[in-house]
Amino acid sequence: MEAPMRSISLLAVLAVAALSACTVPQPYRPVTPPPESMPPTQPGSQTQTQPAQQPPPIEESQPLPPPVVREPVLSAASRALVNQAQTQLVAKNFAVAAASIERALRIEPDNALLWIELGKVRQAEGNYVQAENMGRKALSMAASAPRAQSAAWSLIADAYRARGKNNEARDAQMRAEALNGR
Amino acid sequence: MPTFKATFRKYRRQFWVGLALSCGVGLITLLGWLIYLDRIVTQQFEGRRWTLPAQVYAEPLELYVGQSFSADALEQELRRLGYHRVDAAGGPGSYRRRGTRIDFVNRQFQFWDALQESQALSVIARGNAIESLQSAGGEDVPIFRLDPLLIGSIFPIHGEDRVVVTPEQMPQFLPAALKVVEDRKFDTHHGVNFTAILRAAWVNMRAGQIEQGGSTLTQQLVKSYFLDNRRTLGRKIEEAFMAMLLEVHFEKTDLLNAYVNEIYLGQDGRRAVHGFGLASQFYFGKPLDELQLHEVALLVAIVRGPSYYDPRRHPDRARVRRDLVLKLMGEFKIVDPKTAAQAAAKPLGIVGTGTSGGGYYPAFLDLVRRTLRRDYREEDLTEAGLRIFSTLNPLVQNRAENALEQELARLEKARKTKKAQKLEGVVVVTAPQNGEVIAMVGGRDVGFDGFNRALDAKRSIGSLVKPAIYLAAIESGRYNATSIIDDSEVEVKLADGKLWRPHNYTEEATGPVPLVRALSQSLNLASVRLGLDVGLPNVTKELKSLGLENEPPQNPSVLLGSVDVSPLEVAQLYTAFANGGFSTPLRAVRAVVDTSGKPLKSFALEVTPVADPTAVYQVNRMLVQVMERGTGRAARANLPSGLVVAGKSGTSSDYRDSWFAGFSGSHQAVVWIGYDDNSPTGLTGSSGSLAVWSRLMGSIATTSFSSPLPEGLQDVSIEFMTGFAASPECGEEVISIAVPQGVQLPVKPGCETGTLQSVGERAKEWLQGIIR
Repeated sequence: MEAPMRSISLLAVLAVAALSACTVPQPYRPVTPPPESMPPTQPGSQTQTQPAQQPPPIEESQPLPPPVVREPVLSAASRALVNQAQTQLVAKNFAVAAASIERALRIEPDNALLWIELGKVRQAEGNYVQAENMGRKALSMAASAPRAQSAAWSLIADAYRARGKNNEARDAQMRAEALNGR
Repeated sequence: MPTFKATFRKYRRQFWVGLALSCGVGLITLLGWLIYLDRIVTQQFEGRRWTLPAQVYAEPLELYVGQSFSADALEQELRRLGYHRVDAAGGPGSYRRRGTRIDFVNRQFQFWDALQESQALSVIARGNAIESLQSAGGEDVPIFRLDPLLIGSIFPIHGEDRVVVTPEQMPQFLPAALKVVEDRKFDTHHGVNFTAILRAAWVNMRAGQIEQGGSTLTQQLVKSYFLDNRRTLGRKIEEAFMAMLLEVHFEKTDLLNAYVNEIYLGQDGRRAVHGFGLASQFYFGKPLDELQLHEVALLVAIVRGPSYYDPRRHPDRARVRRDLVLKLMGEFKIVDPKTAAQAAAKPLGIVGTGTSGGGYYPAFLDLVRRTLRRDYREEDLTEAGLRIFSTLNPLVQNRAENALEQELARLEKARKTKKAQKLEGVVVVTAPQNGEVIAMVGGRDVGFDGFNRALDAKRSIGSLVKPAIYLAAIESGRYNATSIIDDSEVEVKLADGKLWRPHNYTEEATGPVPLVRALSQSLNLASVRLGLDVGLPNVTKELKSLGLENEPPQNPSVLLGSVDVSPLEVAQLYTAFANGGFSTPLRAVRAVVDTSGKPLKSFALEVTPVADPTAVYQVNRMLVQVMERGTGRAARANLPSGLVVAGKSGTSSDYRDSWFAGFSGSHQAVVWIGYDDNSPTGLTGSSGSLAVWSRLMGSIATTSFSSPLPEGLQDVSIEFMTGFAASPECGEEVISIAVPQGVQLPVKPGCETGTLQSVGERAKEWLQGIIR
């Protein structure tokens, strides 16, 4: 857990520098004064400098930079457990498949992909309400991951469809496809 | 005068008939009595074979690369499981350690979802993390599950507890040792050994006291079946007959197996330890088949008198008798005399009682029992040999118990006046993402199986209620974290016409403050105003949605937490915050399996959306500020630097209850301190429970609370005290908070950079990537 946090702080500090006199609010951290350093090299981001004392119009007229994408990945341990779960799912051993995914969730509770996998088990079991709920839970933790969001919406669409809610299913499916297009 | 002889000759026939009749009657009575005894003893024998208490296991330790575990910590966990250190490669239940590398052989274990075979593994743990996990062949193992700790049983009302062992699980010299010490003629006698009885009687008479027992193993088995200890001659004769009857019906091996599983070997509070299987766990913390010679000999020694030879209270006596047993085993060639002598040189090897090696967790087990009573009858739980896989984490439980005990002791020492009664406390630790209860402390006396405050002490929650008010406010759309509310005198007319005038703990009114400050500093006046504006019904409805069992009544005092809730329920309530608006029912059991290993029930993980995730996110960011700047900031001293946590303190009226509920990325803990009789303690949530909470969280491996910024929100920097938009170079006590996009903020006078808000917009997108 240490290394990612360190690189996150480094990136944040560099971000502060790039916007020179402006401060970039960092979540949960006391804001540090900008050091003199290089602008970040994140692909797809634009850096702009603003004159410090000039108040520009509040409405944003500039286009937003394309968002930085951080798709969740499964750790080796989670991957082994998910593979196991998929085998167990094929054998219709739902409770055991779910148990394998729950083991992975204990290690990585914030991984949207695992919630989607567990949702798929619920879907296969016929527990459509839980399948949808898990899809929504996955969505809530996949803010910067369009592909994961897309998979979550697909799951939600399946859960709606299985309950005969075809309008909602169609909407969810469209969202899934739109996100996948990016 | 007729002579006796003449009379006899005259009535000779009647005499013999009478004699024959009385003999006949006597014989029939005897037969009847024997049949009666036979029925009792065989019923007991057959019946007892099947009464097995349910065994409860803790959550198994999983090992994987990257896990936060030092080599020392791993070794400690292996020892908790009763693994012993060896120098050369050993069998199941052994490990070797060379610096950062630990090689171990796990015990085979039938989990409810899979069988884990016994195999050899190598772990290298450098610093605080597992670097590599490999099988004997050098293959990387992605994840490995160790056999779980047996934490207790659900035993019947009469308090007997046992772990049944099959003949294969017995050390091969155990039966022989028992025979040579207790009953040398076991294989040949028919239940009663008369010469032994006579010899014992002779020895005891000469010594003037009871020195030898003349009972065979079979007689001891019979005696064990009947719980009263009447040592009358009549009872002894009954037992003798029953022993003989048993021998008629059953094979010697069956009788010996029954003996090994039945004989009383110790007392653990309310729980009577029966059988060598449980005794092995109770005294040595490991399964019977892993015991070494000197350990088996000790158990055999204890048979003669578990109280008298209690190795914990009378280690010298126990040692002397154990060495005698070893000597006999050597003499009778059960083992080589030299081996016996070596074993006699070894120390007793008993593990301490309490939390090391098979501890006893009454509050948690109580929760397990209550959970299962919904689906199982008492007889199923205590007799059917169920195996229950629980969610307890023994390490965290240990830390929770220590944190509570130490802090309560410290608080009492610091008090000027000595109170007659002692402060009590509760700790409930959960993994909020899956709702598992991983530790529970029901009272200050952690091993005492009495009033389980965690489940049954419904106490006023005080300020713990506030996050629900603020959540309702944000969900209404009319408030955000920077909205200004007035912390000033407020009067509420109650239903009965009386006026309610709440006040702050500081007795002062702070005036206009931003929402985040009102929550962080737990300002009562502002919170009451907010709650009234949002509407009391919305607040109570919010509490019910979040997971409170009963919607509170429409009393304004509810806004200051005048509602009685148990600590477990508080934990359930806060789970919705820790899970970003999703609730999951708290559970203590994962699965139940029958004696043959067939899964009977598994408790599936369920989630339900209970509040708008975007609103909950905003409240959670404020709860982080509680820990950064508010009433929870004293926790920082005990926490690893950089660890992000969120929480809320709670103090009920007149300082009767001190609460703290808070969460990190992987754990949530609720702590309560108070007096059982509800008298004021003088402690606030910050001055009492917070210290227990932070001590606990600081002592377990936990991760930062982190959640991605939802769509539609932006990060802004404001002054904590005033709510003005600011920046670190220009502003006092600048904090970062989340508000909906498009929110206009007044800028602190003199700091008009103006770029702050639009910059915030652009930065939001950027940061979304960085946060993860």
